[in-house]
Amino acid sequence: MDLETLKQKMDEAHYIYDETLITVLYVALRLNRPLLIEGAAGVGKTEIAKVMAAALDRELVRLQCYEGLDESKSLYEWNYQKQLLSIQVNMGRRDEDELTRSLFSDEYLLERPLLRSIRSPEPVVLLIDEIDKSDEEFEAFLLELLSDMQVSIPEIGTVKATSIPFVVLTSNRARPISDALRRRCAYLYIEYPDMDKELAILRARLPHVDDRLAVQVVSAVQKFRSSEAILKKPSVAETLDWAQALDALGVRELTPEILRGTVGFVLKNNEDIDLIDEILNGECDGAECTGDHEDCGHSHEHHHHHG
Amino acid sequence: MRTAVTPTSTIITMADTEVYLEKLSLFGRILRQEGLDITPNETADAVRILLEVGFDDRTVVKTALRTVYAKSRDEQLRFDRIFDSFFLSEDAIRALDKKHTQQELSHAQALEQAQQELRGETESLFYNEAQREAYASLSEEERQRLQNMKDRFMGPDSRNPELYANMIHSVFARSLMEQQMMMEDAALGNPYAIDPEIGLLFRDISQFEDSEIPKAVYYIQDIAKRINGELTQRRKHSGRTSALDFRRTIRRGLETGGSFYRLAYRRRRARRKQLVVLCDVSGSMVQFSEFVLRFIQSLNQASDSSRVFLFSEELREADAFHLQNMDLFRDYVRRSGVYGRGTDLGAALKKLNEEKPPVFSPATMLLIVSDAKTVNMSGAVQELLRARSRAGRVFWLNPIPERKWKYLNSVQTMAELCTMISCSTLQELAAACRRLAFT
Repeated sequence: MDLETLKQKMDEAHYIYDETLITVLYVALRLNRPLLIEGAAGVGKTEIAKVMAAALDRELVRLQCYEGLDESKSLYEWNYQKQLLSIQVNMGRRDEDELTRSLFSDEYLLERPLLRSIRSPEPVVLLIDEIDKSDEEFEAFLLELLSDMQVSIPEIGTVKATSIPFVVLTSNRARPISDALRRRCAYLYIEYPDMDKELAILRARLPHVDDRLAVQVVSAVQKFRSSEAILKKPSVAETLDWAQALDALGVRELTPEILRGTVGFVLKNNEDIDLIDEILNGECDGAECTGDHEDCGHSHEHHHHHG
Repeated sequence: MRTAVTPTSTIITMADTEVYLEKLSLFGRILRQEGLDITPNETADAVRILLEVGFDDRTVVKTALRTVYAKSRDEQLRFDRIFDSFFLSEDAIRALDKKHTQQELSHAQALEQAQQELRGETESLFYNEAQREAYASLSEEERQRLQNMKDRFMGPDSRNPELYANMIHSVFARSLMEQQMMMEDAALGNPYAIDPEIGLLFRDISQFEDSEIPKAVYYIQDIAKRINGELTQRRKHSGRTSALDFRRTIRRGLETGGSFYRLAYRRRRARRKQLVVLCDVSGSMVQFSEFVLRFIQSLNQASDSSRVFLFSEELREADAFHLQNMDLFRDYVRRSGVYGRGTDLGAALKKLNEEKPPVFSPATMLLIVSDAKTVNMSGAVQELLRARSRAGRVFWLNPIPERKWKYLNSVQTMAELCTMISCSTLQELAAACRRLAFT
């Protein structure tokens, strides 16, 4: 697949991208490198894996990381209860050695996402989400898997990958990822989208939302994000939720009253919500208000480009 | 000092494929010099991908190389800087050359002027190259201020040149040293400054603005929550990997007709540590102390078995109840009467050492939170040695960046007596607290 084909596939998946993103994806794909994506929460890191799965027409296998995630939850586990039942049922009926051997066969193996992704006959997209939430031990184990594309299961031996998955790792940078793991990955950092890109995303995802409202919503969200005082910055998903909710409520114009009533869709901290008046008024004071601030409640003539 | 990349050495256009590939290994070496960890594998990957994407589009080449070489946000920023100065267009090189020539000219003039201004002062004063450079880079006002001061005391009608020479020299030396430190900081650079998301974690705590404090507190809580999770996990983990608990396994087995359907493991008992925190709350230290205490209060394991003492010139034990609400910490410190005075670590430690019943035992970890600027240094050293012999371990969290320790005698002395950890940024503070929690 060349760069142009990848772009075409992304277009087909209705994904809004820029040149940097598409080049990074292409490089990772061509070099068969796992892709480590970092950035603030809600900028669309996970979405990239989903879109890549759609674009490459592959199955998406997802591993959600959390504190305490270990091999048994991520790689494989023996179905101990089933093994025990089998022993009780077959005791005395079968040859003991054969019974022992049969207990460590595929029938009793519970495949978890990592094993599934490398044993799949067709290559898949493996999403290892929020790797920063897992423990360092898990990271070390992952390193082995990603560099050799094989794992050792003591009872069976080494399992080699039948297909090489396209691996996407995401991190919110809650804790630093080890250099060793970074070295094995291609790296992508995503920032919050700017006004134009976010508007394009909103238009692509929610084409039925009134364009004037879309502009107002995005400009309000951009303003919240650019404010230092806001602790939890609204994500793109929250922008979409908000726009959808306003649309469902039949809102055509984002007035300050409506904004206050529905701002819970984008701001999830009480302290942040308390600040909205300050932020909006701060932006709209004095001569600087040129009419670009749709949500400030001032009456201006607005002319928007409806694309 | 890092080696500067001389732009004139690499005039390459995007069309010269072979030259481009040859220069790639040189580029890799420069990246290495700048602290990026570049392996031959990566260079091979870079060549491979460049042959695929071609050399026509500079942006694509840059992005592709950055994806291969840079592995973090910090490395990306460094990569961009190096790439832009290495793979220049010819126009950019000419413009840069012109700019450099002008800069060098004005720098030489400034140095010449500095030399003249410094020369006439007195025979006994000696300024080296670095100091002259620092002087030349001072602002016009600052230079004027120093010269005015000098003229006032060393003018033609000087009353006593010998007497004032030392004083003037010390004023000059101090200004120059501060300027040198600032230049050093600027040279080290802060690559995170452009990225507000991570900026706060990596910036000097003493430089925080008031408006940034809530965000810093938010980070602290978030990191502490994570450390708590790791601690819990470690306990769970250690329980699981320990020996099988036969008694409980058999008892559980009875429920399922004697087959051991669910296994039980022995759990290890967590050993309680006792933490004694000695917090400097004199003027400049109160913000840092607040951050440290927020961390400690948020750590489950530490908070319920710790005692906190506040000191400046005297010592007070902080009320555990008041520490629950850290938002009121400053008010509490002000009311306690120890706020804003000088620092006497020796007196504070002495009182702590003599406390009855004793504060320290071999199970105690003493954590000193201070910048080590104290009166009566010898007394402080003596009392610290005494405390060290009584407490199990002594840690010191110092908000002064480690690169400045060499200029401060008191810090050097104290660092030899205990484990001193530099915590000038939130990131370092978080790492230190993680280390303490797992010790």
